[in-house]
Amino acid sequence: MSILFFDRLLVLDEVDKEIKTKAKTAEEREELWRLVDEIIHHKIMGCVLDKLPEKSRPEFLEKFQKAPYDEGLFKFLTEKVGEDIEEFLKTEIAKLKSEILHEIKGK
Amino acid sequence: MKSSADMITPDYLRNKLKLKSLEVRQSFSEKFPEVNRFLTEKGIDLGKIREHSAKIIGAGALTGTLLFTPPGNIKDLPPLSEIIASIKGLIKEGSIDLPQKFLIDLLKGILPERTRPLTESEEKKIEQVFEKVIGVKTKADLEGEHLNTTYGYIGAEQHLARYPGDNIYNHPKIPSGDEGIAPGLGAWGYFSQSRENLTKSLEETEKWYAVVQTLYLPDWNKRAKYLREWYKYRKVLVVNTDNGNAVVAAIADSGPAAWTGRHFGGSPEVMEYLGGSKYKKGPVLVFFVDDPENKVPLGPVDYNKTNLTELSLTQI
Repeated sequence: MSILFFDRLLVLDEVDKEIKTKAKTAEEREELWRLVDEIIHHKIMGCVLDKLPEKSRPEFLEKFQKAPYDEGLFKFLTEKVGEDIEEFLKTEIAKLKSEILHEIKGK
Repeated sequence: MKSSADMITPDYLRNKLKLKSLEVRQSFSEKFPEVNRFLTEKGIDLGKIREHSAKIIGAGALTGTLLFTPPGNIKDLPPLSEIIASIKGLIKEGSIDLPQKFLIDLLKGILPERTRPLTESEEKKIEQVFEKVIGVKTKADLEGEHLNTTYGYIGAEQHLARYPGDNIYNHPKIPSGDEGIAPGLGAWGYFSQSRENLTKSLEETEKWYAVVQTLYLPDWNKRAKYLREWYKYRKVLVVNTDNGNAVVAAIADSGPAAWTGRHFGGSPEVMEYLGGSKYKKGPVLVFFVDDPENKVPLGPVDYNKTNLTELSLTQI
């Protein structure tokens, strides 16, 4: 189990490397980490809700708010969506990583 | 002339990420207004969902009622008395000639297949195993403080600057695969204000340092002042659950970010001892060392050399 059910899919080492190179103090670094965290949460939830049939959303939200750490949510989502949600999220996270890197590298 | 990479300052990064964050928040609330309403009614800020989750886990771990749903990720644990009896039995038979293998086998019987925050009952068993086999008294919950997780992945960190002007050239390094020195300071700044004032003890603290995610503690913002002092150089026992290597380290930085797939960090020396020069990431247990008299030294714990038959095993 993770702190959030999708945590083990998140490996954004390159983003972390950029932040660590630029931040001079722990406070600066933590603030930047939190901003990335906020972006990730909204993006991932957006991807999940996009895929999820509207009628299943209230049930998902109830489960999510009670146990955001629960990896059983993958099973629920896969059943409702009809495809492997983990694989789908891995692809979306890879896209998001490129997006954030693009933003912070100033390209 | 400055390169474009040099022109990216922390302020630039902050502004870019803030803008991006605002953009995704706005897009989310426009696309899913009903979800936004639902979360607001529940008092949940999606941007801070990690804190909300940590609070729920914390409450569950305290009462021992946490339920983990993935099948196969929870075991019917042997009772604590059975674990102690099995250690005693093996010691009587004189069959513990390889304490590390013995430790790994014991941990296999207690730990879930995948890393996750452990239940109170699992942690109590591990505390006993550490004390009896490794010979170090530890606590998952010490003086009311508890990490968000005691079982997770550790990743390789860089050396930390010990005093103003410290750099990789005058910093001790490991023979191969050294990670270099971090560009920024650790969470508690310099270890000493000058090279002359760097004591042997502080040198050891930097050499054997660990990183834990203090920033994600559910009450970090409310008790930051107290917690900062409490965690500063706090000793932890770090045990590689794959090979049983154990090291006592001092917490000297906060992190890693939750989205790196790691939960702890270790100095180059810590990582080298845990798994060799190529070891960059792996599952570990991290427990506070219960050492009120400050007698446990930092560094490797060579419990292979410990004569287990001389350990006193007290039934609890």
